[in-house]
Amino acid sequence: MTGVGYTLPAVLAVVAVCALELTVLRTGLFRRPAYWISMVIVVGFQILVDGWLTKLSAPIVLYDERHTSGIRFPFDIPIEDYLFGFAMVTAVLLLWERGRPRTGGSLRR
Amino acid sequence: MDRWQYLIVLGACLLVTTPLEWFGSGVYRQPRRALVAVLPVAAVFLIWDAVAVAAGVWWYNPQFIVGWHAPASLPVEEVLFFLVIPLCGLLTYSAVDNLLPVVRHHVGKARQR
Repeated sequence: MTGVGYTLPAVLAVVAVCALELTVLRTGLFRRPAYWISMVIVVGFQILVDGWLTKLSAPIVLYDERHTSGIRFPFDIPIEDYLFGFAMVTAVLLLWERGRPRTGGSLRR
Repeated sequence: MDRWQYLIVLGACLLVTTPLEWFGSGVYRQPRRALVAVLPVAAVFLIWDAVAVAAGVWWYNPQFIVGWHAPASLPVEEVLFFLVIPLCGLLTYSAVDNLLPVVRHHVGKARQR
């Protein structure tokens, strides 16, 4: 129940990805409604897939509960997994946005 | 049969999200842009994964994985996870991003009536 092994790095990963966007990448992803709608859909499917992977009756992934908060919701999903997933998917979408083909003649900057 | 379970879950994720490719400019049709987005993040998260497994923070049930391992004793399914799930996320975002203007256009038209 210390959370040192998973809870802490998961929170730090989210902070790091947000900091990366706000200070370095500046893609404007967080201002795009499409991003937030997509994340709601992604979390919806994460609950299905992650729920299957972590179900305590026949788990595919097992966690040392000493390294997590111990809170699992819904089903048996450790809540840290949402931070992990948010950081991973957001980081990929940030790099995808950075690679967006420029349209029109007016370049920013 | 049980040992294919994790791979089947990942395959199902790819299968379900593939039709999203046809909404707009897609992801698979922009392979270079997709790889530049997915690979650096996969590398970082694979290192995190390897460290967590080495430290015993989490591990994988040998009953549900095929038993092929990448370096740092990561199951091949974990390596695929960091390619498959980001691709699913990209396909979702790409589809929503391309569909949103269409939806807005129709909502705007409906309001004018």
